[in-house]
Amino acid sequence: MGRRKAGDAGGQIGAVYWLSGGFVFRRVVSPFHKLDPRVRLLVAMEFFVLSLLASTVASIFLVLLAILLVAAVAKSLRRIGRTIAFSGFFAVFIFAVNFLFGLGLLNAILYSFRFLAIISSTSVFFVTTSPDELEQIMKWMRVPRDIVFAFVTAVRFIPVVMLDAFQIMDAQKSRGLEFERGNIVRRVRNMVPILIPLVVNSVIRSGELAEAMESRAYGSTPKPTSLYAMHLRWYDVAVAVGSLVVLFSVVGTLYI
Amino acid sequence: MTALSDVSLTVGKGETIAIVGENGAGKTTLVRHINGLLKPTKGSVLVDGLDTRHTTTATLSRKVGIAFQNPDHQLFSDSVENEVSFAPRNFGFAEELVSRRLDWALNFFGLEQYRKSSPLVLSGGEKKRLTLACILAWDPEVVVLDEPTVGQDSLQKEKLAQIFKMLQSTGKTIVIVSHDVEFLWPIQPRLVVMSGGKVVADGEISKIMADRELLEGARVTQPQLLRLYSGLLSRPASPFLDVHEAREWVGGRRETQEAR
Repeated sequence: MGRRKAGDAGGQIGAVYWLSGGFVFRRVVSPFHKLDPRVRLLVAMEFFVLSLLASTVASIFLVLLAILLVAAVAKSLRRIGRTIAFSGFFAVFIFAVNFLFGLGLLNAILYSFRFLAIISSTSVFFVTTSPDELEQIMKWMRVPRDIVFAFVTAVRFIPVVMLDAFQIMDAQKSRGLEFERGNIVRRVRNMVPILIPLVVNSVIRSGELAEAMESRAYGSTPKPTSLYAMHLRWYDVAVAVGSLVVLFSVVGTLYI
Repeated sequence: MTALSDVSLTVGKGETIAIVGENGAGKTTLVRHINGLLKPTKGSVLVDGLDTRHTTTATLSRKVGIAFQNPDHQLFSDSVENEVSFAPRNFGFAEELVSRRLDWALNFFGLEQYRKSSPLVLSGGEKKRLTLACILAWDPEVVVLDEPTVGQDSLQKEKLAQIFKMLQSTGKTIVIVSHDVEFLWPIQPRLVVMSGGKVVADGEISKIMADRELLEGARVTQPQLLRLYSGLLSRPASPFLDVHEAREWVGGRRETQEAR
């Protein structure tokens, strides 16, 4: 028991929740997850660069295939699939705009798939990297501590805020609010009873979080140490060097 | 994951039932089926003859008012009066009726002085009363209350109990989801005990609350008045329903012993 009916507003939020899984970390044991988070970031960035460099339909397909291969190794193919499903709508839009403005069929395909490849390469990194690892990478990059904390907390709170949104929608639907009724202006106005409690709750929660952090002596140590430290092992180095060799040979073949 | 299974329950018109059980037993999931927020994957839920699978939440909500646990999940208007009028307007009430229902609800819940205030500046207890006012403003036949006593002091709980009695006297069907057995005991509702997504007991509260083994399994504590009653050597025919009754009985016994 307990199904949200597809097509109603709860169903829409359910769909958004499902799609958001394509960007939210889940703990999985896989060879890719075992890599140092910096190496994972490097691999994702290399895919990003390759997506931008690919100038033919065949090459962008190859890049996308390579990304999916890495996703399969990371046992996250389904979750990356969600990302692609989510981006599919925009990809179709990009295809249509480019095709209609006379850039040709091949270029239209190239640009829409380049978009999918860029999104998937980002998703590969976020799906396989926990907020803790994200924090470590940012600290390693010497990003100021407060900014790291704010960023990581925002990432952590995405599922919490979505759950809040669910409950608020249920409460307002129980008071006779119909999201799918009326013209576009009315539909936008129907979002007000959702957005106000959501924003108010988030502001209250952030205030409480700040107080809780201060009560636990946040900021009292000028340079805190980390419980976990990142160490490059031989296979991290092997993957990093190997992937860089592939990247540079592709760039070399293309431009030299 | 299955949240509920083999749940078979019929609630009569005008009946008051309370659903208790451990955290995660499926109580809230069950009540969300009553106004169609959740649809059953197997079986059916009928509300006044309407199958919730084929009826919108808006239609069902006209009959079933659910007051959720956290008032902060619903308050959004710029004033208390707009907050209370929100649902009646959604249901298409005429402005004159909206205004009459608003006056009644604010008066009934003692919120008249906050009419023009923002709902966000009210205290926890007032917000809770406001959410109840919002539900009763459209006069639903079935009133579902999810954990109405959470975060309420003893005075507020007493007020809530009085409100229940008034609702019972108006013939409303009431469903209460609560952990607070001390609050439920004087109301003497029909009791439904849930555990692991199943209904493990359904019947008179006095009989179920006497079954300690069952209560332990569902992590429900016995009401203190019932424990006091069970511990007495000499006791009246039926358990005490409130503290005054218990005090009168114990006081009466002491006087008899002193007279001897």
